[in-house]
Amino acid sequence: MPITEAHAGRRYPPCDPYQVSAAKIAEFTTALGDDNPRYRGESPMAPPTFAAVISAHAFDQLFGDEELELLWARTVHGDQRFIFSRPIHAGDVVIASLTIDKVRIRAGSELISTTVDMADHDGGPICSAEATFYHVREALA
Amino acid sequence: MKATVAEGLEIGTQLPPLTVRFTRERLVRYAGAATDFNPIHYSEHFARQAGLPSVIAHGMLTMGTALRVVTNWVGDPSRVISYSARFPRPVVVPDDADGVDVELGGSVSAIEGSLVTVNIEAISADQKVLGAARAEVDLGVRVPHRDHET
Repeated sequence: MPITEAHAGRRYPPCDPYQVSAAKIAEFTTALGDDNPRYRGESPMAPPTFAAVISAHAFDQLFGDEELELLWARTVHGDQRFIFSRPIHAGDVVIASLTIDKVRIRAGSELISTTVDMADHDGGPICSAEATFYHVREALA
Repeated sequence: MKATVAEGLEIGTQLPPLTVRFTRERLVRYAGAATDFNPIHYSEHFARQAGLPSVIAHGMLTMGTALRVVTNWVGDPSRVISYSARFPRPVVVPDDADGVDVELGGSVSAIEGSLVTVNIEAISADQKVLGAARAEVDLGVRVPHRDHET
């Protein structure tokens, strides 16, 4: 049975710790065309939306959950909200945990709202990322 | 933080705008950097299966790039304490050398002590591609009070 409204509240186990590297920050800032000097040098900070890179690992859990029958390829991002408790720097180890907040079933599609909580090893909050995805049930073309 | 950022700031202050160009190459680069390999961002076939007119930019590419308006202005990106946006229309990126332009701008919509809210606009092909995009910035110093009422 595919995803239903009853899946709201499902929380996945924390992802493997993600180690932030200066090289990954450099790749990400190049992709954004962003040359802010704070993202360079020996101890760079990550751009705020780097949190999306870490979230991606949590989304692998959601889309890997066979019970839900979700395909990333038929998913379009609807909205996104980040609340930053502190900036992310190279060398940080970040642990992401995903919760399904709400599921709305439409004709042929679903709206899925999630929160990814990102924290350090001691549980200290780093970022909370809320997202809504629009998932198309059947291929439209 | 740039020393001058807080000075003279008021509701409606415009931040320096920015125009960026998204090409298919940029989408592939972002996909790799963000590890978001959803094929709707590089394959016409999969984009159409998802009900899209063609290959579209990652919402997070648009959102992440648009925040440059704020971080270029404030200087220190760690001043950003929240950022939210909706993706009301996709940025369709053609399979050619020119790609598509996205025009980005921002204006101050609220000031409370050291907290400044910036409304961000992103326009592509004459359409708003970010909705209700807002970043909250903590300048760390109180903004000199003028008329902070809307």
